[in-house]
Amino acid sequence: MNKNDKLLIVFLVPILLIILLLFKLTSVKSNKVANVYYENQVILTIDLSGEEQDYNVKGYNGNVKIKAGNGKIKVVEETSEKHLCSKQGYIKESYETIVCLPNKIVIKITSNNDLDATL
Amino acid sequence: MKRVLKLILILLFITGCSNSKVDSHNFFYMDTYINVKIYDAENTDSIFKEVDKIYKEYHELADRYHEYEGLKNVYYLKNNDSTDEIIKLDSKLCNMIKLGLDYNKKTNGSFNINMSNILDVWKNYREKGEGIPTLEELNEAKNKINPIILNDKCELSNNHPSIDLGAIAKGYATEKVGEYLRENKVNKFIINAGGNVLVGDHYNNDKFKIGLEKPDQTKEIYKVLKLNNKSVVTSGGYERFYTYEGKNYHHIIDYNTMYPANYFKSVTIITKDSGLADTLSTCLFLMPIEEGKKLIKDLEVDVIWYTVDDKVVTTEGIKNYE
Repeated sequence: MNKNDKLLIVFLVPILLIILLLFKLTSVKSNKVANVYYENQVILTIDLSGEEQDYNVKGYNGNVKIKAGNGKIKVVEETSEKHLCSKQGYIKESYETIVCLPNKIVIKITSNNDLDATL
Repeated sequence: MKRVLKLILILLFITGCSNSKVDSHNFFYMDTYINVKIYDAENTDSIFKEVDKIYKEYHELADRYHEYEGLKNVYYLKNNDSTDEIIKLDSKLCNMIKLGLDYNKKTNGSFNINMSNILDVWKNYREKGEGIPTLEELNEAKNKINPIILNDKCELSNNHPSIDLGAIAKGYATEKVGEYLRENKVNKFIINAGGNVLVGDHYNNDKFKIGLEKPDQTKEIYKVLKLNNKSVVTSGGYERFYTYEGKNYHHIIDYNTMYPANYFKSVTIITKDSGLADTLSTCLFLMPIEEGKKLIKDLEVDVIWYTVDDKVVTTEGIKNYE
């Protein structure tokens, strides 16, 4: 090892490590986001870290009103026979989903939760 | 200098390039939202198209509410006005029915795919949300059921049996989708079909982590399973049920008693074949733990029983997934 090698190790390696660490830290802190799907298409993405507010999307039976923010999301109003998805209330964890089958709307939260599926 | 630079480059490469490409697609079949994720695959459009075709076909075959032109599905078997004495079954439908008949025997009749009449009685009460059917009502429904008479050539007597494949079709179709993916060299995948999960190889040479939710309203994760190339299926009374006079009545009915089974809040099965996992999850839900253990003793199957008094009982092998 010559002098340059040592310099590299002393300076570059710690810098790289710091960069890596920063990457890890920022990815861990990544915000919770909710994706709203109609059939297979993401039609709306909502950052849940913001203040709570209302959103409207078009479902199969008409308008679907969503309330989202402060880390949680729920369906407030939709047109269906049993209103299962508006009765469900808030979801806030990344393994939870809201399924409005008659409206073909699915809402999923994604974040850094490391589970691949839940049942 | 060069050596060290090289080392750094390799390090960067290892840490930076572990992400794989993922393609995700949702399907709505069998009253369920189905998510299929495939990793590092090419021609994803044509793959998803084929997956859609497979689910659609099984959905239509097992559908007991709708007819499809030219298709001899479960609805047709019950409602056709053909004078034929025998109906030649599609081999896919035939195999599902055979699986059902096999486990009907193995569970001494508790598990029964020929009881849609009885399920309908319960469904009416569930949708009203009050009252429970009387034994007379249930017996009346039971008496109208004709036996399934099926020969080795998949020829079924046309006596309008009351078939319901709700406990089999979703897992069975999912298994076929898994087979299709592997045949087309898509080995890294995860399928989540509402209570039915099938995983292939992991996208990062790791293991898939499947969280099991407590079968109540809290939905907390009580166990995480780590596995590859396995199917995990949960049957529970906690999703489709109604409460009457302080008691919960769910949708998993024992044919012998004609009432909901009351041993468990949920039963989770882990095994290779998703169709078997789906079937067994209902079978084992209908019987005490000891009987369930007997039923699976010659099979490579692991089980998690979540009892009505909130105890979690598992087979030995579960520790391999923790």
